[in-house]
Amino acid sequence: MDWKDELLRRLVREPLGGYGEEVSPATEPTALAAMALLAAGELPAAERALDFLSGIQQKDGSIGIRAADPTPAWPTSLALLAWRSHPEHEAKYGSQIASAIEWTLEAKGLPIPKQQAQALAHDTTLVGWSWAAQTHSWIEPTILHILSLKACGLGDHPRVREGVQLLIDRQLPGGGCNYGNTYVLGQALRPHLQPSGMLLLALADEEDSSGRKEKSIQYVAQALSDSTTTASLNWSLLGLAAVGNTPDEAGLWLAHSYLRLHRTDSHYRLALLANASLGAESPLVKLVAAGVMG
Amino acid sequence: MTANPRESAEGTDQASATTKFDRRGWLIAGAVATGAIVGANWLRNAWPNEKAGVFLARNQRYDGTLVRTIRDGLIAVGLLPEVIRGKRVLLKPNLVEPTRSSPQMTTHPAMILATAEVFRGWGATVAVGEGPGHVRDTEMALVESGVAEALDSLKLPFSDLNYQEVAFRPNAGQACKLTGFYFPQSVLEADLIVSLPKMKTHHWMGVTLSLKNMYGVIPGIKYGWPKNVLHHHGIPQTVFDINASLPPTIAVVDGIVCMEGDGPIMGSAKPMGLVGIGLNPTAVDATLARIMGMEPRKIPYLALAANQLGPLDDRHIDQRGETWQGLESPFKLLDKDFLLDMRRPGILVS
Repeated sequence: MDWKDELLRRLVREPLGGYGEEVSPATEPTALAAMALLAAGELPAAERALDFLSGIQQKDGSIGIRAADPTPAWPTSLALLAWRSHPEHEAKYGSQIASAIEWTLEAKGLPIPKQQAQALAHDTTLVGWSWAAQTHSWIEPTILHILSLKACGLGDHPRVREGVQLLIDRQLPGGGCNYGNTYVLGQALRPHLQPSGMLLLALADEEDSSGRKEKSIQYVAQALSDSTTTASLNWSLLGLAAVGNTPDEAGLWLAHSYLRLHRTDSHYRLALLANASLGAESPLVKLVAAGVMG
Repeated sequence: MTANPRESAEGTDQASATTKFDRRGWLIAGAVATGAIVGANWLRNAWPNEKAGVFLARNQRYDGTLVRTIRDGLIAVGLLPEVIRGKRVLLKPNLVEPTRSSPQMTTHPAMILATAEVFRGWGATVAVGEGPGHVRDTEMALVESGVAEALDSLKLPFSDLNYQEVAFRPNAGQACKLTGFYFPQSVLEADLIVSLPKMKTHHWMGVTLSLKNMYGVIPGIKYGWPKNVLHHHGIPQTVFDINASLPPTIAVVDGIVCMEGDGPIMGSAKPMGLVGIGLNPTAVDATLARIMGMEPRKIPYLALAANQLGPLDDRHIDQRGETWQGLESPFKLLDKDFLLDMRRPGILVS
């Protein structure tokens, strides 16, 4: 059996799961599994995952990290992407999608007045999304919420536009990004692969007149290798697929990544790998692009 | 995310956020905090009734006799090997943002392995746990730091503290407005936590040692990457409160190749050849801060911890092994007044 088929069978058998050996399923891994299953046409298994997400949605539209942890609600973005990936999303998950969008548009990272943030080089007044309530906007939650809103056809919404501006601003001068700081006390920080790969997903259809987006593409393409760890590799390959720059070795690297994961209990990494193996056909790429085009 | 009234910062109870603490309340909170650390009757931590022991070893190497040094050091500060048998020990290294190009940023794998070997030799069940503060890809943090390979070599289990299931525990320190903390399962199940930090400068706090290292037990999945909920509630206050609220914690510090300058991430290597050990992390940090040329009372979180979590005053610390006075070698700092003000008087760094 091809490794991709074997991986898919594992997700079909159990679409719900967590990050490691924990007992309770978590939103992010389950939403990622749902997207991969939907892309493969495995509707019943995908719907198990989507229904789980519906079951833990709060009245205000948000979805927490696990059933027992309704906050923080950054995984609302992933649940929204997963529901929106269903071919009959309007009929089956229309109300869930509507209330999740409403929550997302209300949720805001805390801006910091410039005079209080002189040690930082990024524009602290731009508003994106935070990991937890009442904290600053950071790279990955802003990316995930932008992707979810673009997938729902809201790429022109002012919140998305400001979020994109934030992402462009948070890139490092040499390309790529980290968790979301550029300079601290005058010192430039290092880029990391995972957020840089994710960044390309969100900026794939965006213009960046600073030229740093091109540098970010080059950074991700050059930093990847066969030994890149699973999450960084998969998010990076998804990002490169989104900008039409998939490396020739991608298939080999993914196969090796699966071999390293063969006995893992990490549903998160398996689900992420299943999405990365779809390349440009992953809902994380395809749905976002389609949503932007309307 | 502020707009949604249901969602509040993790662990913040709006109703109690305005609670005021008078001096008596503060002392009671401090006593609770102290109890959390010295109250385990199997852990013979002499402070506050006696001086807190701090063991220092010099001329240490990662390829040297670290197992013997750490074993001797723990016994020298009063840890009784027989009480460790059957206990669950969690080793907490610092892997905040590992990269192969900056090994001085993270706890060296040899320190983790040697400490594990000591506790296993005494009959403990040992695991390693960390929740890297700046990277969501924990596997990457383990590989880049060399820790993944090291753990495999001793078949040491690893707990990803960023993603484990969590439980809420009250804030025993109450220096910040958080009513409690979500701690990962492995932290709550541990009989003993060993803070295994790297000896580094810190561009906001002056130094980062065994107390600040415990930011890494806070789960990113609840608090973010970075763990920004803590920053918004004050770094000194949350360092104090986390340490006050944890299970019994001791310190084994990697001071062999350290970081100076723009720590804790971008600084340069400073070889010191030191290992610092103590049952009271505050006393260990105060002693190592002096070696770094810093005044412990001016390190904001140590100032809070003073006489609450442990002693800063040299007269209340019992030096075992080497004395710090002979080991002093001031660390370079960023040229910022607020950092330079944390120096011990008379310290000059070329």
